Amino acid sequence: MTRLVLSGNYAQSYAARLARVQVISAYPITPQTTIVEQLAKFVSSGELPAQFIKVESEHSALQVCVSAAALGARTYTATSSQGLLLMHELLHWASGMRTPIVMGVVSRSVGPPWSLDADHTDTMSQRDTGWVQIYPESNQEVLDSVLEAFRLAEDLAIRLPVMVAEDAFYLSHTVEPVEVPSQAQVDAFLPPRVPKGTLVPGKATRLGSYVGPADYVRFRREQARAMERVPETLAAIEEDYGRRMGRTYGGLVQEYRTEGADAVLLTMGTASTTARAVVDELRSEGKRVGLARIRVFRPFPAKEVRDLASRVDRLGVMDRSWTFGQMGSAATEVAAAIQSSPRRPRLSSFLAGVGGRDVGTALLREMFRDLLSKEPSGLRWLDMDPPKEVPLHG
Amino acid sequence: MIEIRFHGRGGQGAVIAAELLAQAANLDGKIPQSFAFYGAERRGAPVVSYARIDDRPIRLRTAITAPDIVVVLDPGLVEVAPVMDGLKPGGTLLVNSPLPPERFPTPKPAFVATLDATQIALSHGVGSRTMPIVNTTMLGALSRVSSVVSLSAVQHAIDEHVPARPAENGLAAIEGFHTVRVAELPGLPGGKAPSGPVAPALSSEVPEGPIASMASDVLHTSSWRTLQPVITREKCTRCNFCWKFCPDNAIDLDSEGFPVVRNEHCKGCGLCAVECPPVAIEMVVEGGA
Repeated sequence: MTRLVLSGNYAQSYAARLARVQVISAYPITPQTTIVEQLAKFVSSGELPAQFIKVESEHSALQVCVSAAALGARTYTATSSQGLLLMHELLHWASGMRTPIVMGVVSRSVGPPWSLDADHTDTMSQRDTGWVQIYPESNQEVLDSVLEAFRLAEDLAIRLPVMVAEDAFYLSHTVEPVEVPSQAQVDAFLPPRVPKGTLVPGKATRLGSYVGPADYVRFRREQARAMERVPETLAAIEEDYGRRMGRTYGGLVQEYRTEGADAVLLTMGTASTTARAVVDELRSEGKRVGLARIRVFRPFPAKEVRDLASRVDRLGVMDRSWTFGQMGSAATEVAAAIQSSPRRPRLSSFLAGVGGRDVGTALLREMFRDLLSKEPSGLRWLDMDPPKEVPLHG
Repeated sequence: MIEIRFHGRGGQGAVIAAELLAQAANLDGKIPQSFAFYGAERRGAPVVSYARIDDRPIRLRTAITAPDIVVVLDPGLVEVAPVMDGLKPGGTLLVNSPLPPERFPTPKPAFVATLDATQIALSHGVGSRTMPIVNTTMLGALSRVSSVVSLSAVQHAIDEHVPARPAENGLAAIEGFHTVRVAELPGLPGGKAPSGPVAPALSSEVPEGPIASMASDVLHTSSWRTLQPVITREKCTRCNFCWKFCPDNAIDLDSEGFPVVRNEHCKGCGLCAVECPPVAIEMVVEGGA
């Protein structure tokens, strides 16, 4: 284990190298670019004996990964925003063909208007493509999650692709200390992929070709069942990871000071770090508030959310993306999850941090204040005031 | 926790300065976090980067609005960017400038430090005359005027992480450490910082929302400029090539058809000078430095 000061993007690259990926294919896009630049350096220097296949678009990049993974290779790609949207068709192929690809996504707003900053619209619009989605909140967790993602994706009971989505700039271009495990530690945790149900060169096999209605639904049901097995499988993987590396992240939903809480805010990604500090401030002021971080959004942690709902009266969800006609993306799913809960807390949906608007302590305090007040439930767009003047920064 | 904001121009190394500071603080056994918000990245454009340094894990992932320390890598930015915004009373302003610290009064009482980092960097062959790379010199000075990082950690970080000319950068840092001058200033009457030019907010212009991009005649992008075109009228043939090639419509024609540079829009890209057939346009360093 070595402590390096790394960006979230380099944490992705180092993790992919430690995982001994065999095929990488990617197309550069801000703010993902440095992930693949660093991987290209690892490949060209010989530190990573992998094939880096250059392509003309994200669509092709994922096609290359699907094909390589279908042949049994350990594959990695990375993208962001418009690039992820261009992959949309192939996202379904990757998942439907049960190819265990791991993809780093730098979560960025979607145009127009053109924008480069943190937002969850890109990944949320791909939530039903059959990929597992993990949303880390630190660069350390990015590295750890990518390693866990390979074990999860390649588990023969799962065989589903996994996205590790980090917030643009808040992680991608922020540097902070990261404990980087040794190659021996990673090799012991993540042995080479055991290919099963893959194509074999020289032998006629078909993957993903036409089936009639009677068979199609059976494939889909198997895919859904694999997704249902993710929570249990990931828990076992995390336990093993924790035993070897000394770090775990609390399963699908990580709770913080929720005991005896009147109100709990659910967050995803980097807002969680700042929110935890705000919870401590409010607790010291005598307010009974807590935090729950949705670490894994796909499969949606409905059971964990229902369990939380059975213990609190007021739930708030902060979202960086939304569902038209409903509420925030995560809030809408939380609402669906608690629908069948014996106890249904009042639910508030806060849209904040959209398009990279900074989520600071004052804004998070506003969410808790709203939750603890008599404000009605439902959707609120926060922090909407236009800036009075725009300083001429770059 | 110490919060630091760096102001520089694209190409000067403000982002790398914050990252190097994080690497150095890590070597000092502290916990660093460094980040930047990106806009139109272009050589010369004002850029801002940030760092937090603490003894404990950092629990904030949000912009720094009230920095303890502000580091300004380009003296011209004091006029065009809000470099003193939010600087804490008793904080430190470190400016790359040959002028004495007293020439940079702060809104609240603060320590102001200056050094001619451009001259130091150039004397060590770091960067070029039009774009000196002053980040390592400034980090050396920072290690002198605050306890946030040690000079030896700065030197080690440079050795490990500066790909080009680490030895020269290291020497520049040491000279920065020894050259910087500090003054304790009382704060301006009224406590108001000199603010740079501002553009009107987009969303008030278009009630339905930002459906159109802001044009250059609203957004004065001239703050990006480090080189200025100077036209020699005697050589000019009025061919209008400069007017045609200017990507920002920053060249007007006067009543006689001679080109005139609109300084509030010129970014100093130099295309006009390249395209001018009679070579009547010269790019000179802004402010004649």
